[in-house]
Amino acid sequence: MFRLAVANLIQNKTRLAISVGGIALALTLVLFFGAIFHGAQGRLTAYIDNAGADVWVSQQGVQTMHMSESALPASVVDEVEAVTGVDQAVAILYTEGMVQANGKENIAYVFGVPPGATLGQPWHIVDGASAPGPGQIIIDHAIASRMGVSVGDQVTALGRQLTIAGLTSGTSSLVSAVSFVRFDDFAQARGQGQVVSFVLVKVSPGEDPSTVAARIGGQVSGVTVQTREEFASQERKLVSDMSADIINIMNTAGYLTGLAVVALTIYIATVSRRREYGVLKAIGVRNSRLYQVVVVQGLISVGMGLIAGLGLTLLLSIIIPRFNELIILSVSGSSLLQVATVSAVIAIIASLLPARQLASLEPVTIIRKGG
Amino acid sequence: MNLAIHNLLQDKLRFLLSVTGVALAVMLILFLLGLRAGMFRNAVIYLDHAPGSIAVMPAGVKSTSAGAGQFLSPEQVADVASTPGVKSATPILLTMAIPELHGQKELIRLVGYDASLGGGPWKMAEGREPTSDKEVVLDRVLANRHDFKIGDSFQAAGHELKVVGLSSDTSTFTGSYVFARKTLLESMVLAPGAATLVLVTPTSSTTPAELIARLGAVPGTNVLLKSQLMSNDQDVLAGVLDQVVYLMVVAAFIVGALVVGMVIYTATNERRGEYGILKAIGARNGTLYRVVASQAVIAASVGSVLGVGFAIAMGSVVMNVKPQFLVAIEPTQIAVTLVAGLVMALAGALVPARGVASLAPAEVFRR
Repeated sequence: MFRLAVANLIQNKTRLAISVGGIALALTLVLFFGAIFHGAQGRLTAYIDNAGADVWVSQQGVQTMHMSESALPASVVDEVEAVTGVDQAVAILYTEGMVQANGKENIAYVFGVPPGATLGQPWHIVDGASAPGPGQIIIDHAIASRMGVSVGDQVTALGRQLTIAGLTSGTSSLVSAVSFVRFDDFAQARGQGQVVSFVLVKVSPGEDPSTVAARIGGQVSGVTVQTREEFASQERKLVSDMSADIINIMNTAGYLTGLAVVALTIYIATVSRRREYGVLKAIGVRNSRLYQVVVVQGLISVGMGLIAGLGLTLLLSIIIPRFNELIILSVSGSSLLQVATVSAVIAIIASLLPARQLASLEPVTIIRKGG
Repeated sequence: MNLAIHNLLQDKLRFLLSVTGVALAVMLILFLLGLRAGMFRNAVIYLDHAPGSIAVMPAGVKSTSAGAGQFLSPEQVADVASTPGVKSATPILLTMAIPELHGQKELIRLVGYDASLGGGPWKMAEGREPTSDKEVVLDRVLANRHDFKIGDSFQAAGHELKVVGLSSDTSTFTGSYVFARKTLLESMVLAPGAATLVLVTPTSSTTPAELIARLGAVPGTNVLLKSQLMSNDQDVLAGVLDQVVYLMVVAAFIVGALVVGMVIYTATNERRGEYGILKAIGARNGTLYRVVASQAVIAASVGSVLGVGFAIAMGSVVMNVKPQFLVAIEPTQIAVTLVAGLVMALAGALVPARGVASLAPAEVFRR
């Protein structure tokens, strides 16, 4: 039966190529959209992962960084530093702002970091200085090339002209690009007194970050304290909560389109072989066996479409960042598993229509008609 | 044309499936464009309803899309209000918070306003505006999603906020608007008297251009038309959204063309004999192309019209089930999509048309 299914499918290679192409593109739509979000999610925690802090202290009730504001009185830094088990406490300022140059602008996570601090500094510098000086900024090279600027050029951030001192790599996505300025420059731009956004904490050697976090939470009021892992996990949860609805909507549209393409393919492949199926029925092959042939055709078409769709998505994940480094595509295992499962269901549903046709097939009539 | 229709309808189920395939591809294109338009409209929903025609922001700030990293000082706000030609000045403080409600993180866009100066909710569904720093007006869609009633409270940015009113038309895909007294937000961001922007209405004897020039004298500010600010906000969104949306539109377009191609190819292939006879009796390739192209255009036209209906229906379902999404399908988008459907048809007819052109009449008879 498997051989018959394969023979039916490859009987017309152009049609097979068109149908596999159609299924592949429909499934690519689903994989592509998921990959965009997964890619952005991976970059979202870049600063949290690389700042070197074991524990993050933020304003009470603020558990995330993306699209969030945290404001703490500067006095909190000394209170945190006094807690047992805290080796270093570094205050940083943060906002989600714009970096602009040559008429182009990018959304950026702007961090104000104190000079010489061992936590929260830029990493993976690909050009220029490793820390911003007064009136300087370090930005990601992806947004720099998008704006057509490099080290030594001027950009506008925090409402002032700043000179690019260095370029980092691997910190940008569609919704953010990590940028660094001096703490004092940031504080001056923000105005409004002695305020910090987060306190980054390095725990003493041998201390457990969770224990120290609990201690800080118990001794300092008006703050939320999280370990690095907890903070990153909250950040990822934010993106998945915010994107869940839109991903579900796009997936439904992509799957429906895929279903129509698969149904059409299997239907055409089956109907064009009506005569052969009639002969098989005439020699006593049961309907259930013929259904199996149709379902196998469906599964093979969808399997080929899925492989081609995955290949296309992976190809796009290589090609697109070459043209725009802010779009990062990353296909997650769970997304692939979901698409594979739904595709199999689609193949079976799509096989129902031609299966009904086979059931009502009159062997003698078909043979007499000549197909 | 008769031959084209006959060929297409020879297998009605196949025709139906092909029309459905094209319709779904068209639906996807139109839905994506509608979703994009809805997001653009929603991105400026607050500014669209807020008072004033001129916006004063901190120097260098051109949009409200980013966070509240910079503020106008109370002195700057006072200077703006006292500038000659200003009829009214409405200071607004904007910030964002992400409370976790019923285990789900919800982005809320907090608007701090002074009730006596305006800038608050423009359409109250229920309740009243806040009168203390513990009260808020919550977006009705967000309230429904979490079963909040007037009098209920929730935690955001370390503050216990009591819901005293519900507002309509304040829900967006990128967050729900929550209105509070400006002093509450000042305490949240630790910036007493500060404002993210001041919305200014000129007096009747002052033109916006004159007033913008005068307000430019207030140090450390950026003064622009409110319409320009809205356009800047949409540009920021476009930078994030457009490349992804257009890539998906292209993919959906190719799917549609492939569906048309597959059906026309099969229908043409099945009728090779007839096409051969037509060629043998002197029909030119141009005539046969027209037959093949007509089939493609018929399938794509029916599919496209159906797809427009599907997209409108899907938009309506999505907006009912998830009211935070606005799917704004506009006539121009429909026109563009219908043209795309036609192009899809012609692209899909290319391969079958080539097949007909290369057909040798004698060979068909030999078979």
